[in-house]
Amino acid sequence: MTVAPGGGEPILRFDGVAIHLGGREILSPTTVDVRRGEFVCIIGPSGCGKTTLLRAAAGFVAPSAGRVLRNGQAVHGPSREAAFVFQDYGRALLPWRSVAGNVGLALEAAGVPAAERAPRIAQVLQTVGLAAHAGKFPLQLSGGMQQRAQIARCLAQQPALLMMDEPFGALDAMTRESLQDEVSRLVRERGLTVLFVTHDLEEAIYLGDRVIALRANPTAAKPSVAAIVDIGIPGPRSQLETKEHPEYLRLRRELYQYLSH
Amino acid sequence: MPPRLTVILKGLAVPLLLLAALEGYARGPGRDSDALAPPSKALLALGQAAADGSLWGATAFTLGSAAAGLAIGFALALLLGTWLGLSARAGRWSFLTVELLRPVPSVALIPLAMLVFGFGARMEFSVVAFAVFWPLLVLVQAAARQVDPRLLEVAAALQLGPAARFAKIVLPAMLPRLFVALRLAVAIALVVAVTVEIAANPHGMGYAIMLAQQSLDPALMLAWLFWIALVGFAVNALALWLQQRAARRMGAAG
Repeated sequence: MTVAPGGGEPILRFDGVAIHLGGREILSPTTVDVRRGEFVCIIGPSGCGKTTLLRAAAGFVAPSAGRVLRNGQAVHGPSREAAFVFQDYGRALLPWRSVAGNVGLALEAAGVPAAERAPRIAQVLQTVGLAAHAGKFPLQLSGGMQQRAQIARCLAQQPALLMMDEPFGALDAMTRESLQDEVSRLVRERGLTVLFVTHDLEEAIYLGDRVIALRANPTAAKPSVAAIVDIGIPGPRSQLETKEHPEYLRLRRELYQYLSH
Repeated sequence: MPPRLTVILKGLAVPLLLLAALEGYARGPGRDSDALAPPSKALLALGQAAADGSLWGATAFTLGSAAAGLAIGFALALLLGTWLGLSARAGRWSFLTVELLRPVPSVALIPLAMLVFGFGARMEFSVVAFAVFWPLLVLVQAAARQVDPRLLEVAAALQLGPAARFAKIVLPAMLPRLFVALRLAVAIALVVAVTVEIAANPHGMGYAIMLAQQSLDPALMLAWLFWIALVGFAVNALALWLQQRAARRMGAAG
């Protein structure tokens, strides 16, 4: 669902965003727009600042220079409009609340009346395939199901923007692929805009409308953004056919160099 | 015999033997002692105190004052400790103040408390509150520091207000450690309450044991000693049970 360039105001704009940590420049000034309805993946080697960039977009950290604009407004802190899926689902779920209770937290935060919560929780759990596990506690679930529960909580926020920080990095390959397909479907059904950080090149190409490749240790001659690549593989995508598509193989070859060094 | 019963009987053997030895000594060589009385007489004195109601009144006063002081000290320590634990800046600014005030012996406040409140429950529970406040503050602060920062980010991402963040995230995350802290504080509260009564306040179990000593009634004095020990044991057992129950509940939940 690539929106034509210039189609309306960007939902998210990085305007010369730079990040310094401990006196070192992690991210050199970066300017990128994320269009409404777009699925943008950020890849790069560890230490390239991709998670920090995402955290700046979410308002968890303030950029050292430049600013992040959400719907044209400067971001000063987190907002329920932009949901954040953490990689470590085990730490992001409240262990003392059931799956339904964790999802309900998002509704309580939004001030949804108690009577309306139960049907909305049930509906969200249905969409992520956890309807049968509503009463279970996080530690009683597998990693994949815990991550589904966290995604359910984020969907219950009814966000316009979904930020995902290596959400499937800790999962086994089979679970990862099925969750990729489900998130892809959910996002397109709901018209969500997604900013997705991963170190997995194939995941980025498979999911993304656009891939931003970052490099570590930026210099004046080699800024953080190494490449921004449109993924022009015709949809609908599928794990088998997409990954054998000539364009997929070409993009993988092209982007590989940014990860290898 | 069930194994549990065996354990209890084995545990009781030594105290019973000591009681029998004391009984023998008090009825034999120590017959004329003003300090000792046979346990059997102490038991009779305890029965009398229970019958005339003085036992229950004094116990209720001491437990009530200890509980009130504990409640006040705990509430204050919970609020302040959470704040100092979660805000690194508040922690740095308060560090020296806490370390200077914490070692002040709580019983040294008895004269001040007496001047301010006079005799009675208020002076007693204010000293108890002071005594339990400092260890609780340190423990709550540590518990708040150990709340997973990821959970605080979840709270921030959901834009929870300060009250909701405390009630829905921070407090449940601290709960197992709070129960450990509460168990320690219960013991301190009872010790300090009895001490205040022995030292100054003419109420409660501490005053009753002092009165028995001053009227040269060793049987009644020993009766009160035994009773205070029993109450202390029961209160600590209750606190331990609460803590284990909370730990089990949290364990089942997470």
